[in-house]
Amino acid sequence: MPVTVKTFQAVSEAASALSSDRAARYLGGGTLVMRDLNEGDVSIATVIRATDRTLQSIDVAGARIRIGAGVTFARVLAERDLAFLHPAARSIGGPAVRNMGTVGGNLFAPAPFGDFTVALLVLDGMVALQGGFGVRDMPIEEFLQSRDRQAGALVVAVSCIRPASADAFRYRKIARIKPKGGSVITLAAHLPQSGGRVTGARIALGSMAPTAVRAKAAERALEGRPLDASAISAAAAAAAEGTAPADNSLASAWYRREVVGVHLRRLLSGQES
Amino acid sequence: MLELRKDIFADERDDNLNEIGKGTQRQDMLGHVTGTSTYFNDHRLQGMLHLRVVRSTQPHARLRRIDTSEAERSEGVRRIIRGSDVPRNLNTLLSLINFGKDDEPTLAIDKVRYKGEPIVAVIADTPRAAAEAAAKVRVDYETLPAVFDVEEALKPGAPVVNETYPKNTFTYHDRYDHQKLRFGDVERGFAGADHVLEQRYQMSPIEHAPVETNGAIAAPDTNGRYVVYTSTQALFFSLDTCAKILDLPSNTFHFIGGTVGGGFGGKVDTLTEPLAILAAMLTGRPVRYVLGREEEMQFGPPRGAERIYIKDGVMRDGRIVARQIRAYFDSGAYTRLSSYAVVKCAAHLPGPYTIPNVHGDIYCVFTNRTPATAMRGFGITGMDFALECQMDKLAHLIGMDPMEFRILNAYRDGDMKAHRREAKNTALIECVQVAAEKAKWPIRDEFRRMSSRKDGGGVRAAVPSTPREPAQPRSAPAQQRTSYDRGLSAPSQPEPPPPPPTSPAPSPAHGATRFSSVFGTRRR
Repeated sequence: MPVTVKTFQAVSEAASALSSDRAARYLGGGTLVMRDLNEGDVSIATVIRATDRTLQSIDVAGARIRIGAGVTFARVLAERDLAFLHPAARSIGGPAVRNMGTVGGNLFAPAPFGDFTVALLVLDGMVALQGGFGVRDMPIEEFLQSRDRQAGALVVAVSCIRPASADAFRYRKIARIKPKGGSVITLAAHLPQSGGRVTGARIALGSMAPTAVRAKAAERALEGRPLDASAISAAAAAAAEGTAPADNSLASAWYRREVVGVHLRRLLSGQES
Repeated sequence: MLELRKDIFADERDDNLNEIGKGTQRQDMLGHVTGTSTYFNDHRLQGMLHLRVVRSTQPHARLRRIDTSEAERSEGVRRIIRGSDVPRNLNTLLSLINFGKDDEPTLAIDKVRYKGEPIVAVIADTPRAAAEAAAKVRVDYETLPAVFDVEEALKPGAPVVNETYPKNTFTYHDRYDHQKLRFGDVERGFAGADHVLEQRYQMSPIEHAPVETNGAIAAPDTNGRYVVYTSTQALFFSLDTCAKILDLPSNTFHFIGGTVGGGFGGKVDTLTEPLAILAAMLTGRPVRYVLGREEEMQFGPPRGAERIYIKDGVMRDGRIVARQIRAYFDSGAYTRLSSYAVVKCAAHLPGPYTIPNVHGDIYCVFTNRTPATAMRGFGITGMDFALECQMDKLAHLIGMDPMEFRILNAYRDGDMKAHRREAKNTALIECVQVAAEKAKWPIRDEFRRMSSRKDGGGVRAAVPSTPREPAQPRSAPAQQRTSYDRGLSAPSQPEPPPPPPTSPAPSPAHGATRFSSVFGTRRR
């Protein structure tokens, strides 16, 4: 069976085509789907596309920033209002991948990829999904946990909050090949402070589980405490808790568990990687 | 910018050369920068079919059953090729120069020896149809214990990877399981040394990662010939290899190469051409066989891994008095070119230094890993990395500057090298001096005044007395030969027995038999 490509104008039509065909995959920028097709993945029989302009929109006017699922990382980098997301966008692939790869597709990128999602995870990220009954918002954490079962739903946008302050949000990707290697570990932290104490700590890790995950034990270690050496040490010691990294050619699971605390300590204490 | 130091190399080069030493535009550059270079895969032939290979998912397994019945019925499938369809389904690359035994099938028959090994080839109308049919091939594996470590592979009772070499080592000169280098007496050297340092070095395999993956398009031509567009970096080598595997005269094929989209040694193994041509022969249609990126990584050969042990004896004044090296080259499941890497390595020891006692044992070892092949200085690069790390450690151990330490031990014109050849045109001292100067690294005047042309030879030209080791039991010195003949179609047999030494093989005789330090006695 040759692969069929179906292009729709409306997101809702694309979503219903996607949900009615188990062998259908949505093509955003193609950096994941075309790779699979070129490698001969026979599980994909239909490729669905949507030309809806809303997929390309970026809305920075409201309290939450909303980015269309079809926005590429190159566009994120060109947007001055998204400056806090530039380090995460810049850490993905090379220029060719950033010109094609999309924010929506990044949610589906398997480890050691999907770095942008790690950043969204600490910024109270939400995923807007087009289902049969309209668009609904889902917390990104919940989305990632059920990602494999979301095959029929179409992501139309992601949203996130702005960091409480420039210093409150930190992002770092540990890679062996710079600037465009896959992730050994990707770390993001959002640490708003009030009265000298961390409130609402969020720490997320990439390549430490099949999807990006929050490091909740490390978050608890920081919550309500000043961001000092002892709190950072406690967070670093708890960094690997609840993670399930895998072996791959970039690093072993053992290595990732061993060094995640080291990198978290450096990130939180403002040291170079 | 290239700079030739005429003060050092006054007699090295004629200055009236037309090209060498002058800035010249690469002839392929214009095509590359304008995107007009033509690659093998730019040919779209009418009625072209596509070939996809079903590969082993196991590193070591017996093939109980290969069921292609469902795949044969799959839409768009034209033909399925099995190992039994390959005229001569056993080959080794360097058999073209009578080096090594045929040990690698084009398609596995009874057993697979590494993950990614080809088992059957599916030919279909489109790449998609080929992929769908390939997914329907059922292979029943009986998994066997696998060995991935070179030293584990040499232990008694280790799994036999490749039955052609039951000891898991390549066989040199019909008798030897490794290459030896003996010069002087290292044990005496160690006994008299102020310090002895032994270290272990481990190199990883390195993938060539060409932008263009390996591939070929073969098409029937007139007069029963076949035209082959290929990515090969060794056109006539690939052509002769195909002639052997397909058991046809080499003038059956018209190979068209040209722009190689990245080779570096990863495109000499003739991975795709034999099956592409065989598929064109069996279907009468043009056939394209191109590796995907994952295939290139898993099945395409890397630079081989090496494990190296270096033991050095050094005096407080900086002289290295003994160097013992034991190295294991990981050939993967088949020979390809690692056998030759070992020979090159043995010829390179002990590095560019004059050391009176040298002892080398280099093994080419078979493991259940992807076969390794050529890559930029293979056999030398990894060993040099280990040697130069060792040089730094030795310098540190005796508290000497590492640059001066290398100058002190560097070979000089007239010195005897460990293979009993006199060193000529040496220039390591000058290289280190210039490197130190460029790096603004201070070295003492006496080292700045040293020269490769001075103070060599004399006692340094002597071959030291070398203790003999007990000889191994002799077997008949029979040079392994293949019955491959370019003109006639030789009878097809999986592994031709080596002819007795008294009857010379009908090889193309261009001249008298001569001795080669690489390949032993051979004709040229």
